[in-house]
Amino acid sequence: MSSEPIERRVSYLGDRLKASRCKICGKEYFEVRDYCGNCGRKSFGKMTSIDLFYDKGKLELCTLVKEPTNKFMKLGSYVYGIVSFHNGKIRVPGRLTDQIVNDGEAIDFSSLEGREVIPRFRRRYSVGKSEVVPTISLAFTLADEYYPHQEYTVVQPSKEYDVPGIVGYSVYASRFRIKEDNIERSVPFVDEDAVTAAVEAGKLALIHSGVDSSLVGKVYVGSESNPYAVKPIASKVAQVLKLGEEDEDVQGVDAVDTEFACKAASSMFKDAASLVNYPKSGVKYAMVIGTDNSQAAPRGCPGGELDLFVGYGGSAFIFGKYDVIAEIEGWYSCTSDTPDFWRRDGEPFPMHGGRFTGEPAYFKHVRKATTKLMERLNLQASDVDYFITHQPNPQFPVRIAKELGFKDEQYAVSLQVNKFGNTYSGCSPVGLAAVLDVAKPEERILITSYGSGAGSDAYLFRTTSQLVDKRQRQKINVQFQAENPFVKYVDYNTYRRLKLGM
Amino acid sequence: MQNRPAIVAVGRTKFGEHYGKEPEKLIEEAWLAASQECDIERRDLEACYLSDCFLPITNKLGLEEGFLSELTELHVPMEVTRSVSAALLAACHAIQAGAYSTVLVGGIEKMTDRWDKIRDDLMLLDDPWSYYAGGTPETNHELMLRAYVKKYGITGENLDKLNVALAQVSVKNHANATKNEYAQFQRKITVEQVLSARKAAQKPLGLYDFAPISDGASALILTSEALAKKMTAQPVYVLGYSSATDYLNFPTRDDLTHFTATKIAMKNALKMAGITTWDIPVVEVYDQSTVMEIVSLEDLGFCEPGTAWKNIRGNCQDYSGYYEINGKKLFVNMNGGLKADGNPLGATGGAQIFEIFRQLRGEAGERQVKSGQAAPQFGCALEFEGFGTKAYVSILGREQNE
Repeated sequence: MSSEPIERRVSYLGDRLKASRCKICGKEYFEVRDYCGNCGRKSFGKMTSIDLFYDKGKLELCTLVKEPTNKFMKLGSYVYGIVSFHNGKIRVPGRLTDQIVNDGEAIDFSSLEGREVIPRFRRRYSVGKSEVVPTISLAFTLADEYYPHQEYTVVQPSKEYDVPGIVGYSVYASRFRIKEDNIERSVPFVDEDAVTAAVEAGKLALIHSGVDSSLVGKVYVGSESNPYAVKPIASKVAQVLKLGEEDEDVQGVDAVDTEFACKAASSMFKDAASLVNYPKSGVKYAMVIGTDNSQAAPRGCPGGELDLFVGYGGSAFIFGKYDVIAEIEGWYSCTSDTPDFWRRDGEPFPMHGGRFTGEPAYFKHVRKATTKLMERLNLQASDVDYFITHQPNPQFPVRIAKELGFKDEQYAVSLQVNKFGNTYSGCSPVGLAAVLDVAKPEERILITSYGSGAGSDAYLFRTTSQLVDKRQRQKINVQFQAENPFVKYVDYNTYRRLKLGM
Repeated sequence: MQNRPAIVAVGRTKFGEHYGKEPEKLIEEAWLAASQECDIERRDLEACYLSDCFLPITNKLGLEEGFLSELTELHVPMEVTRSVSAALLAACHAIQAGAYSTVLVGGIEKMTDRWDKIRDDLMLLDDPWSYYAGGTPETNHELMLRAYVKKYGITGENLDKLNVALAQVSVKNHANATKNEYAQFQRKITVEQVLSARKAAQKPLGLYDFAPISDGASALILTSEALAKKMTAQPVYVLGYSSATDYLNFPTRDDLTHFTATKIAMKNALKMAGITTWDIPVVEVYDQSTVMEIVSLEDLGFCEPGTAWKNIRGNCQDYSGYYEINGKKLFVNMNGGLKADGNPLGATGGAQIFEIFRQLRGEAGERQVKSGQAAPQFGCALEFEGFGTKAYVSILGREQNE
């Protein structure tokens, strides 16, 4: 699609699956309608807008598409059919995503028909490199597989804290993995990218926090694999997740992308916390998302050493002062101009400083930020229950944690690079999420991120009793995704193809 | 009916791939054939109704009327529709209103000129959401079959029989096309071929269940009743014509197993013609897929819903050419249908009318069907635009032989 107005309208309706319901007779329509066909003129102004974004549907009928139209070629073969919502009141066309249908593999349509499905926000189809990236939520996954249905229920907050902190969080990792030498890494499906992971992570964080999305006044999205050089991921996130108060088709939210290699998201934790703490900001909650379809040149090419460790996924954290699960007790950031990893504009893959990415880059900054924060807060390693740092490979985080005096039990939980790979901007936040998934109240968590270029942010969090209360709201936590029996493993060539996307 | 519109001549090209021919060459060929048949000159035409579905896309022709004006050196009123049936309907209205007494109704399509993109183009006839969700020109047909199987509880042995019956539809149409010099595919196929194509596709329907992509043109000369009698000894009257519409978005339709528009159009056309369903022994249906042929027989009222597939009779290698429904013979798609005759969208309806015209006049040669000893008196053509989004029914008839 090269028509911007059409693209705007289609994604506005299709990303969220906006629908309407007649207040008089209850008839429902996919797409927004001003009047009801049953009730005629008297229904003008009496249509309620609804959407199906958090709903689950039922796959009514399906067939296989083996020869897609041109723009869908990169999906290969896929199951396509009719999905109903609300007991058949609404029927929409849809395709099953997150499925690789191999040639010659027989599909039993009747075993798929009747099953519950969940709308997933994905890329719509392939377009030219200079065009707007089309998206849609008419892509569905089976609810009894990798990704179960979760209700989004807004919960009225019960307690205001003196100190801001995390009120909800999430990790999103795709269904696909590549497994090499005991390292598993998440691989996007061909219709996924940094934008879709950001939306997915944000959605899961809203579900976990129970925060009313209209009260989120700011969203930061950190990424280094935005499909656009110019056009924020954050605007898509704000629109699809309806962040801030909606007025006509505009969201009352400040949305901005940040970039600082792998610390693009974690760097904004303090900004989000400060913003919600400033009494005149009017911002009750701020969301920080780290998302990346981590880029790496193919093996054997310059920069190809990254290809051993890159992952795909996103992580989202909502900051506020109500029903806090982890208060921020302090932070320290440091920066130097160290070119250990970079990607020039227009280049598809980043370059890598080889042996210089270790001591003068990663270790130096992580060490500096962590020791400075501990000095400032007068902490010993033993005062901290969990330590998390950036995980570009399995060795670096262990080496620096040991050097800083942390023991295996303090950092082992956070090591997720073996399960999801290095998710770049989402990397240390995934470690933090893994710790929050298991931590007890009144524990201290120290996290130090690292971003090439280079810099580190160290934070100290203290968990509250609400951490445990909210845990049951999130089925799709880190462990669930890491040990999910529906994970599909792909070979190297498939991994490269999927990563390249539509 | 007052001043019945009458078809006095028909013409068409072979359907298929016309790599070397421009669209104008095709319509010229169809027009010449029709005009020679009734011996008229283009200057006798008072208006032209031309149909095409995709010429603006396939051949970058956006104002086809001007193109036809230039070709004919005429300045008479000309209108463009998407199907020959729509053109015929408009022309019939005009004739009946007394506006004109001689008009050309024609259709033209040049789909193979955009071979690599035509399946995407075809999605223009579907709703955009289906396209955005990954639908193809085939998916709705397969989903309708799935819905049909579920609604009528067709399982086990019966499901196998249904699948074979659908295959027989295609086999029958291919066999019919061997007797049609204009047909795109003039070769017989077997049930085994149809079934193995489905198996290879891993889908409910395969290559041999679907009509092809085609080029072609067709033309009819339509006149007032009075004029027709002067021009030919055997005018074929358009006794009933009607159209109806359905939702573009197939999933939102109330009934996923049938075409509501067909039912409405047929009911109205029969009423207009003043005959009943079983007065019609020969029918051309719009078999873009084998499912469409089966379902259309039910929608037109020849079979009870859910039963048409049981009425395919005979050995496929030696198919006797008709459906046997409650002991009565029904001849369907004697020209080979869209499956084997071809489906150049904007010209397809013209080939359907062409066939009924020939059958009623006893001019169908090897394909000729009999109603008792004589050629049939009534025939009917069902044409769609899109997936049953628009349905046109035209009932043709001739005077009873004295």
